[in-house]
Amino acid sequence: MSPRKKDMAIPAGRTMPSEERLTPPRWGEGRTAPPNGEFSVIGKRNRKIEGLAKVTGQAVYADDIRLPRMLHAKLLRSIHAHARIRAIDAAAALALPGVHAVITGKDLPAYYGIIPWTQDEQALCEEKARYAGDAIAAVAADSELIAEEALKLIRVDYEVLPAVMTIDEALAHPENKVNEKAKEGNISKHVHLEFGDVDGGLARGDVVVEGDYWYEGSTHTPIEPHCCVADYDPSGFLTVWSSTQVAHYLHRDLARVLGLPSQRIRVIQPVVGGAFGGKSEPFSLEFCAAKLSMVTGRPVKLLYTREEVFYAHRGRHPMRMHYRTAASRDGRLTAVDAKIQIDGGAYSSFGLVTTYYSGQLLTAPYEMPAYRFDSTRVFTNKPCCGPKRGHGSVQPRFAFECQLDKLAEAVGLDPLELRRRNLMGADCRTVNGMRVTSNGFPQCLDAVERASGWQEKFRRLPYGRGVGIAGSMYISGTNYCIYPNEMPQAGVQLKLDRSGRATVFCGASDIGQGSDSLLAYIVCEELGLTLRDVRVVAADTDLTPVDLGSYSSRETYMVGNACLDAARKLRHEIAETLSHRWGCRRDEVVLANGLACSTRDPKQEFVSAQEAFQLTEARIGTLGSVGWYQSPKLGGDYRGGTIGASPAYSFTAHVVEVECDPEIGFVEVKKVWIAHDCGRALSPVAVEGQMEGSAYMGLAEALLEAQLFKPAAPHHGPGLHDGPSLLDYRIPTSLDVPEFISIIIESVDPEGPYGAKEAGEGPLHPSIPALANAIYDALGIRCDALPFSPPAVLRLLRGTDARTRWEKARSQTAVEVRRPC
Amino acid sequence: MLTLPRFEWVQPRSLEVLLDQLAAHPRESLVVAGGTDAVPNLKHRLHEPRYVVHIGQVEELRFVRDEGDGLHLGPLVTLTRLTREPAVRRDFPALARAASLVAGPQLRNMGTLGGNLCLDTRCTYYNQTYFWRQALGFCLKKDGVHCHVVPQGKRCVAAHSSDTAPVLIALGAEVEIASRSGRRTVTVEDFFVTDGIHNNVLEPGEIVTRIFIPARSRGMRSGYQKLRPRGAIDFPMLSVAFAARMRDGLCEDARLVVSALAARPRTVGGLEALLKGKPLDEPAIEALAQSAYRQCKPIINVAYDDDYRHEMVPVFVRRTVREALGLPPRAPAAAGAPA
Amino acid sequence: MPQDTTHVVCRLRVNGDLRECAVTPYTTLLEALRYGLGLTGSKQGCDKGDCGACTVVVDGEPMLACISLALAYHDGPGITTIEGVAEQGRPHPLQDALDETGGAQCGFCTPGILMSAWALLQKDASPPREEIARALSGNLCRCTGYTKIFEAVELAAARLRERGAGA
Repeated sequence: MSPRKKDMAIPAGRTMPSEERLTPPRWGEGRTAPPNGEFSVIGKRNRKIEGLAKVTGQAVYADDIRLPRMLHAKLLRSIHAHARIRAIDAAAALALPGVHAVITGKDLPAYYGIIPWTQDEQALCEEKARYAGDAIAAVAADSELIAEEALKLIRVDYEVLPAVMTIDEALAHPENKVNEKAKEGNISKHVHLEFGDVDGGLARGDVVVEGDYWYEGSTHTPIEPHCCVADYDPSGFLTVWSSTQVAHYLHRDLARVLGLPSQRIRVIQPVVGGAFGGKSEPFSLEFCAAKLSMVTGRPVKLLYTREEVFYAHRGRHPMRMHYRTAASRDGRLTAVDAKIQIDGGAYSSFGLVTTYYSGQLLTAPYEMPAYRFDSTRVFTNKPCCGPKRGHGSVQPRFAFECQLDKLAEAVGLDPLELRRRNLMGADCRTVNGMRVTSNGFPQCLDAVERASGWQEKFRRLPYGRGVGIAGSMYISGTNYCIYPNEMPQAGVQLKLDRSGRATVFCGASDIGQGSDSLLAYIVCEELGLTLRDVRVVAADTDLTPVDLGSYSSRETYMVGNACLDAARKLRHEIAETLSHRWGCRRDEVVLANGLACSTRDPKQEFVSAQEAFQLTEARIGTLGSVGWYQSPKLGGDYRGGTIGASPAYSFTAHVVEVECDPEIGFVEVKKVWIAHDCGRALSPVAVEGQMEGSAYMGLAEALLEAQLFKPAAPHHGPGLHDGPSLLDYRIPTSLDVPEFISIIIESVDPEGPYGAKEAGEGPLHPSIPALANAIYDALGIRCDALPFSPPAVLRLLRGTDARTRWEKARSQTAVEVRRPC
Repeated sequence: MLTLPRFEWVQPRSLEVLLDQLAAHPRESLVVAGGTDAVPNLKHRLHEPRYVVHIGQVEELRFVRDEGDGLHLGPLVTLTRLTREPAVRRDFPALARAASLVAGPQLRNMGTLGGNLCLDTRCTYYNQTYFWRQALGFCLKKDGVHCHVVPQGKRCVAAHSSDTAPVLIALGAEVEIASRSGRRTVTVEDFFVTDGIHNNVLEPGEIVTRIFIPARSRGMRSGYQKLRPRGAIDFPMLSVAFAARMRDGLCEDARLVVSALAARPRTVGGLEALLKGKPLDEPAIEALAQSAYRQCKPIINVAYDDDYRHEMVPVFVRRTVREALGLPPRAPAAAGAPA
Repeated sequence: MPQDTTHVVCRLRVNGDLRECAVTPYTTLLEALRYGLGLTGSKQGCDKGDCGACTVVVDGEPMLACISLALAYHDGPGITTIEGVAEQGRPHPLQDALDETGGAQCGFCTPGILMSAWALLQKDASPPREEIARALSGNLCRCTGYTKIFEAVELAAARLRERGAGA
């Protein structure tokens, strides 16, 4: 991938073109060329291309957009968790001066949903509201205040229906149907898959660890609330700016719901202020802003309040999990059996995928001879759950890695050693048929063991302090598009200008993780440009080729490959041009640092990148290329076998160190060592940022956060959010975070761009079980239910012979725990 | 974004004009200083005043006077200034500490001592948006008739949530209150009443004009501890203030205040019998802790369940007293054992 | 009569400029800055003083614009927003450092973080990490886990000290 180079020199005294970027590059040890094969941009601690705009306040987010004549919209939301809408009277609201339009469900009757098979949502509920906060009408007015005042004048005649608030209620009362699109009762999706001889494996195991786990729901909480500006112009063309992470899917659903041809719609994603999966499907606000713009003929902005962000939700599903894990006496897994119940909230969202993911993504990095899971997602009268960072697999990973910790204790092994004994290698297939290519998990384990001083700490720290370990794997993009088609998953167009500038056009969605910069890095690396000479135009359906968006950790792998494809096509042409000029071979042409030269005679044979572009344009015409990525057909040969299939998997291991205050039940995480195999770190700063941010978010779910709803009480109905604000839903402050030690492991994937894999979601997974396991090491209690809040920790300390267990675990260290020699 | 309701703007530049405004519209005026409590509450439509009276420019109310009879503090003194003021740090360190534990830095820069003292009570059913409260069916503190914390209750049990007030009570501080018709002074302890709807004695038309900590409280050993989930931003789920005058190792006078449980901070009774003339040793601390445990009954008005908060009362009493005495948070014997 | 007929002129001293915009008594300082003056760098994240994205600096102290009333600043003290931090068009060392360390991911909390850190560095040239964490404890960040932000503040402090020593 990197051209072969000999030392080259710019002749002394020869003046270069005046541009600063053409200053001859300087390398260490007096060399004038990089050592063979070294990257010039990739793997360097580069800045992000939009970084300065962000730190100076110049970056434009959706709510920073203000158009002439713009109206402001607000949504009327249901005050009941479950109610039939008998009638809506908006006359008084419409009569209010300053109000321009009111729309209700009848104005937008089409059903939509991110998964084509489960379209069960309406922008505004027509017949029934399914959770407290479900949208039922929208108002456009001169100001937000007037719109809000108008909401209070809308009369809704509700017939309150019995609400279903828990998994048990949903299953026990199929007659209280939450979602009419459900085929059976309140079942959203049921998946039962079995691989290998599970019952045999359970019987064969010398030890069977059985456990019940509860994973509480949580929500993404990006600091930017959802916001959309829609402008339907007199020619009948609709432009929508939205804080989305899936511009393409939004484009499709807007067309469907609004009844507009999709070629008359343009979706633009401005800078997005965090998403984490919370902006990965269309929401009421986009349809309503667009419809209100169509009705009024004026631009309309709809900005969610923080409270509404909690109702939009699509966050982590609460899961109740039961695991049976069997192993031989020497700690080798013989079978894993899981039964999982998932609380989905009122709608499907990605629920079909969630249900599969809850089982399908557990089958690495440990070898499982036999595996079965039975997962059921149910509908309840609560805001809809969906994909939060580590979609569907964070919950089972928590349960399973705690199971492994218990198993290690049961067979008298160091939990790290237990994991080593069950490692699966590279280039293999999992028990459920997923193809694993590169696998740096063993190195991840080694790295955290060494860095954390595991051997000195595990079962050796004083009471109240402890360490825990856990591992995980995650997908680098899902192998298939959400709607079946044969088109590429990611497309890139690259344009080279006579000025020496490159512009990359791509539908990829930068939500802070750095995908725009990634495009620039790859183009710079391939064409030898500096970062200032590349512009990225992203996520604008009029200007950019389709990329499916920022979900399932797909951008680095898929967009990266598409970009590499486009850039190499042009690189080839430039090299061809210059090889003619210099009479050398194509592979003797080097592009680096704003220059092109031959390796044969770099003192004489060199031009600026600008000249190289011009010479090439003169030879073949206007310079542009397209590149795309389509993953190979992968997955298991069974129904659902494609869900969980990914062209590559990332791997992570964490060691968490805690210090607990057993008197008040507070758990303080002191330090987290994160080793993550991302294939190759195209941008180490970005990768570390994802590792730290992931671990932070996982620990927050484990200790602080919970998306809860009040049950019915004598004077109010069920389903009120427990506290939809950033005061009551507590995300960690700068005083609540541990020290993060990030260790990047590079296994160099054979198919990833330069060998890269994902880093945005995988590193979240182990933080929760590693923390639970550390608390066990510290206090002798098993935190099997999230969150590990002070009252919960204290209850566990009270309710068990925790201290005895702690002492027993300690004594086991001395005599029984076998460590690797 | 969450909007503010419509109101008229009044910005007096003198106490005189302020009192005139309050006298003219006693029930229609909302006094706003730093705005850290009032503005969110306005956004939640918990207050719907005709006039918002911004007192930030009434310079007469911004002062710190360290005098022979004690420390005089203007209600407009910000919480940040309280944490830095040398006289406060020297003589009443627990007050500086309590102020430093309020919310986050920005709110301490904006929030005032007067505002913190007059902080509206808080409840999980009350500090919510209009929409949320409408879905609830409202509550008896605002717009409704039922209490959702105590379903049969006829009285509001929203929690007093000021960090500075418990310390001021422990230090025997006083509040000066003014209105068009004159001035009066009450102790901070008597400033608060048990009604969660309006938990202080301010009548319409009245305003706090001065907080006074008497000279006799200088040199008291004092401490303040706050239970909260995060290291910043959060209101107390439980707060404990303690102050004791020690002479020759014996306790002459002491006050223990437990708050964030109900509308009024609770001054733990019976301290004189427990402590007067005795050393503040481990048995005395334990007796205090148990006494507080018996006298305090948390309810589910803020985060964390009532049992947990009740259980934390003695723990936090021990820690507060130990802080006041300059001891580590836990007695050596208790260290290393589950509580 | 719910129309916004109660607009008055509000004169704000922002980033060294004297700027005027029409506000109502119930316009927040954040709305006046963002929508009245087009200074959209200060962000709105939580509506009510819980997240710090709207942090501006007044008299050297970070404040929250989303719960400040615009009229309280009419002819009042100078306000510095994120747009006023750069020096002669060049990024302030703190801005540069945040960019360099990757302390800004989605960037939405960044203006608020930056203002709190900027105020800190004006008071303390070499704050230890605990002090930095305390100064930023009213600014919620959801992307970074804060580590790279701490590193940025330390880096900027070091560079500012160097610059001070060189001058």
